[in-house]
Amino acid sequence: MSARLSLSGAGLGLKRELMSQLQAEAPSAIDFFEVAPENWIGVGGRRSKQFAWFAERYPIVAHGLSLSLGGPDPLDEVFLQRIKGFLDQHRIPLYTEHLSYCSAGGYLYDLLPIPFTEEAVKYVAARIRRTQEILERRIAVENASFYAAAPISELSELDFIRAVLQEADCDLHLDVNNIYVNSVNFGFDPFEFLRGLPGERTAYIHTAGHLREAPDLIIDNHGDTVIDTVWDLLDEAYRLFGVAPTLLERDLNIPPLAELVPEIEHIAALQRKYAAATPARRLA
Amino acid sequence: MSLFQQYQAEFTGHIRNPKAVPPPKGVASRGMQVYAEIVFNNMEDTLAACFPVAKRILGVRRWTRLVRSFFAEHRCTSPLFRQIPEEFLRYLEQAPDAMAGLPPFLYSLAHYEWIELALTLSDAILPDNVQPDGDLLAGRPALAPALALLSYPYPVQQLSPRFKPTQPDAEPTHIVAFRRQDDEVKFIVLNPVSARLLGLLQTGTLTGQQVLEQIAAEMQHPDPQAVIQHGAELLEDLRRQGVVWGVLG
Repeated sequence: MSARLSLSGAGLGLKRELMSQLQAEAPSAIDFFEVAPENWIGVGGRRSKQFAWFAERYPIVAHGLSLSLGGPDPLDEVFLQRIKGFLDQHRIPLYTEHLSYCSAGGYLYDLLPIPFTEEAVKYVAARIRRTQEILERRIAVENASFYAAAPISELSELDFIRAVLQEADCDLHLDVNNIYVNSVNFGFDPFEFLRGLPGERTAYIHTAGHLREAPDLIIDNHGDTVIDTVWDLLDEAYRLFGVAPTLLERDLNIPPLAELVPEIEHIAALQRKYAAATPARRLA
Repeated sequence: MSLFQQYQAEFTGHIRNPKAVPPPKGVASRGMQVYAEIVFNNMEDTLAACFPVAKRILGVRRWTRLVRSFFAEHRCTSPLFRQIPEEFLRYLEQAPDAMAGLPPFLYSLAHYEWIELALTLSDAILPDNVQPDGDLLAGRPALAPALALLSYPYPVQQLSPRFKPTQPDAEPTHIVAFRRQDDEVKFIVLNPVSARLLGLLQTGTLTGQQVLEQIAAEMQHPDPQAVIQHGAELLEDLRRQGVVWGVLG
């Protein structure tokens, strides 16, 4: 097995709609791509050739959708072995998943909110540890967006995330847009939330746009440009925790590539701004 | 089951069947409704993309009712999003109640629509030892690695909102679906003899000559040599079209 490719800078989610444009002329601002392993595992034909083209030229991040870390069904270890094979085959340096679940007595194929209870902390952390054991590497777990709070929750979202990451001893996949989405949906200060995260664990960052459905409801559809407050959150994350490889997510209303480039360059510009600085958190 | 898992069971139970299953106690109804909608719509979008003809023939109302019952009753076991259509097919196959009042050809049609997706994404590969220009009579012809030899009781390729037979045909419709060397998926409707030919070739153990001799014998053809000569032309034609990729070494 050859060495994994090193990961840094700014990246873009690899969508099928964009692949031909990217193969014709990939913007220099893009340092890496991200895929959902579920969309490429066991796939042959034209699509696998296209994927191989990117995997040969760029570092790839695998951002999983279906592991269901918080789900009641047994952890799918056969599936995890397939993920491991995929990571090894394409020398993928990072695999991340969501702090959520997508199955309960069968798959629902969407990210659902885990109730924030002490029992759930122990349960999810054990599954993350088992995942890291099988994959033989650390994984990063993403703070998820959600729309319905569980009335049985005993902890705040922040305390839940902190407890799970500590107990699992895994990395943080920090999604600054998700912080903003939840801050609107549940009425809290996103900057205070950010400051409360275990930022020293940050391995990877997501930023994205969303859909403002109502003054107090955001749907996290990754279907628009990134808003200013979310850029400010990214800036603050770099200032506090240092620079980490950061991805622009765009999954809906995908515009021509040229319209995404300024957003990728914006990430790169913020990263340059903090490249030489010592993270404020470490100074404190 | 712990308390949070009990909650998850209620939460997903409601998402799967919002009309029949109440949401967990105390959950905000707007947020709950968002989940019920986005999870179902996601599922419906995926199925509509794979089964456009079935959706058109059923019409939006019957189609939505069918997808609803699939969503409520079926338990998907694949973590791979792209296998949702396969899960739907399994549901159609196993849930005769859901099919009541629906066209008798629905399963055949859905299978025919799904096979294109399955072959497009198939990771089947050709064995290493295939000679593309090999002699198809003397050697064992190798079929396209992503290929399905299909027989349907209905003429699936003709079904449309204007053509909805209520009875199966007297003879099945034979189709070979395959992915060519350039990765395009194609369909060819076969006569019974060609279907038999491909079926025998699929075993991978017989030479072209042996297959054609067997077919001539099965037909009790008075002039086996004519069958072999005609069959040789057919095999070459299948190679030109990308059904046959050469000869196994």
